[in-house]
Amino acid sequence: MADETPEADGDGSGDATRRGLLRAAAGATVAGAASTAGCLSVSTPANVAAEYEVTGNVAHFVGPSWLAEHRDDAVVLDARNAERFREERIYGARRVPFDAITSRRGTEDRAVPDADAIAAAFGSIGVAPDDDVLVYGASVGSRVTRTAFALAAVGHRGDIKALNGGLDGWNGRLGTGSRGDVSTATYDADPAPSTWATREWLAERVGSFNDGGPGLVDVRVPEAYLAAAGSDALNDDHERHGHLPGAIDVHWVGNVSGRRMVDPGRLVQLYEGEGGLDPSDTVVVYGDDNVDPTSTWLTLRAIGFDDVRVYDGGFGEWANAEDRGRHPVETATNVVVETKGSVGGDDSSGDFSCTG
Amino acid sequence: MNSDGAGEGAEDAPNRVVAVPCEGADVLALFALATGDSLGEVPVGSHPVHATTTADRTFVATMGERSVTAVDPGGEVTRIDTGVLGPSHFASANGELYVACSAGDALAVIDPVELARTDRIGVGAEPHELAVAPNGDRLYSGSRRDGLVDVVDTATHERIGTVNVGPEARVQGVALTPDGHHGYAVDQDGDRIVVFEPASHGDEEPDAPATRVGHVRKAAAVGADPYDLVVTANRVFVPGRADGTVHEFSPDLTLEAVHDGFSRPVDLFKANGHWWVIDAEAARLRSLDGEVVDTNVPGLVAAPVGGGRLVVSHYDDDRISLVDVADGIVWTADTPAYPFGAVVV
Repeated sequence: MADETPEADGDGSGDATRRGLLRAAAGATVAGAASTAGCLSVSTPANVAAEYEVTGNVAHFVGPSWLAEHRDDAVVLDARNAERFREERIYGARRVPFDAITSRRGTEDRAVPDADAIAAAFGSIGVAPDDDVLVYGASVGSRVTRTAFALAAVGHRGDIKALNGGLDGWNGRLGTGSRGDVSTATYDADPAPSTWATREWLAERVGSFNDGGPGLVDVRVPEAYLAAAGSDALNDDHERHGHLPGAIDVHWVGNVSGRRMVDPGRLVQLYEGEGGLDPSDTVVVYGDDNVDPTSTWLTLRAIGFDDVRVYDGGFGEWANAEDRGRHPVETATNVVVETKGSVGGDDSSGDFSCTG
Repeated sequence: MNSDGAGEGAEDAPNRVVAVPCEGADVLALFALATGDSLGEVPVGSHPVHATTTADRTFVATMGERSVTAVDPGGEVTRIDTGVLGPSHFASANGELYVACSAGDALAVIDPVELARTDRIGVGAEPHELAVAPNGDRLYSGSRRDGLVDVVDTATHERIGTVNVGPEARVQGVALTPDGHHGYAVDQDGDRIVVFEPASHGDEEPDAPATRVGHVRKAAAVGADPYDLVVTANRVFVPGRADGTVHEFSPDLTLEAVHDGFSRPVDLFKANGHWWVIDAEAARLRSLDGEVVDTNVPGLVAAPVGGGRLVVSHYDDDRISLVDVADGIVWTADTPAYPFGAVVV
């Protein structure tokens, strides 16, 4: 792994072990209530961490104990925005240059992840191709998963982990303040096209999605998928609304329950049972952008799907294609798998869909 | 729909077959036209609704598929992919078969001989009914979502213009006059019809404004919840399904008459010199002149077969009837669930 960033966490105020006591259960937010009631349950850092542990045959997502065990041999990446990073972070974490890792470049087959730009961004924060990496956010939202996807897209050879529970689940050492100097690393991209799909790859397969061909999942809210007239969910930059022919809709937020991934058994039911996806098939996920669909990308990989790809160009690229006959959209289908997820954690970015 | 009573006067050949897409059973049911005897069923895919015959085959639009089905005279079935869900209405032009993919925003173009999709044309979302110019050079596709009619050059498959029916319009029926000088679109949500300029023929029709393709000349109110329309050389009929009326216009949309007293009129056919109305909530055909033929149960769709006869699909009652407007029901046959738009092969 790359060298630990020296003094990246500012002054000693960040050296304290995490909060002594977290919020008590409902009712305890009233000052003094805990001492007067005397019978309220109280969460300690240890049992908060314990509730985010990941068990069973789940890839990529790990609990706080994994980080505690690998603290000295894994690079920790913070996917949140700069303000949150300065306020409080896992000690030694490096902030992900998020805009850079969403870079695209144009090809004959249309937009793909810009592997060189993304690799350079990781190199700029000292990540090397063989490093084992853990990425965290306020939760396990799409900024976290985009970071994981970006690593995979540039052919990262080390392990890629996401911290279940986000920062809230970590009860170890914390850092605050500006990041200070960060040593860089050389990161030569080894692009992994098997992690993404292009517009033309999809166009060649129109009519086969979820019907003998690849699985296809639209991760946007149902209103966008269905092109609901008058809905705020419709992107004004899109010349057409709806979804790619044959796509099913599973809103990506359904992958997340507060600050953790949804129970894996429920996720299997969601995607295989209700969505009808086959984990042995190629599955493509897409949304309006190239951030939110990575939540489903990582989730499906975590529950055993072998070949999951992100359509990095997103629905906007498809909807605005000049040759509409080759790139049709559907509006009247309604294969919507209802979800109940929510993304926890406060992120001042103001964009719910990018909550870390 | 463009109708002058198609097939009227034709002789009933003893070997003609009625082919009925049965939406609830996913089959094409076959009956002898002469007797109503069942000749069998052909599985065709999910939710078959309309059929057409061309190149010696029957093509079935299966709305629950991303394909249409071709059935050859020997009963062999071929699926032809459209790539987009909801094939519903067919139109033929220049030897090619067009089908509206009503759950998407495309028309699939099919070679009816090679049984292959040759192209797909992007049009307004949820295309429904199609109309073709008399010389086949233009095709018109109404959009149920975008409030427009797309004009397609059938030689190049390029979309060359649009008719803006209105931002809130839901375009259902689309038709042209037999001479191709007037185009019409029915706006279901707005209870109105518009007449538009289907081609740049101002020089040929000096009385018409010299306009551009797609220009809307005039709009007129029709009965509530209109859906389809019937256009002849000198008349335009629009049933209003929700208020039991049929509006009758001259080609420039001057209102000539409002025929009322129907329950849920859905379509009209000319037979024996009269216009007959199919009523989805009345067990009869009634002409605009007041003549009545009992049909025992309501019909939803009908196909003229000549000689003053119609094959009526009784969608809700799982049967079809051959009805002679002079003599009444000739025969009735039970069908698989939800018989829809029959064709005679």
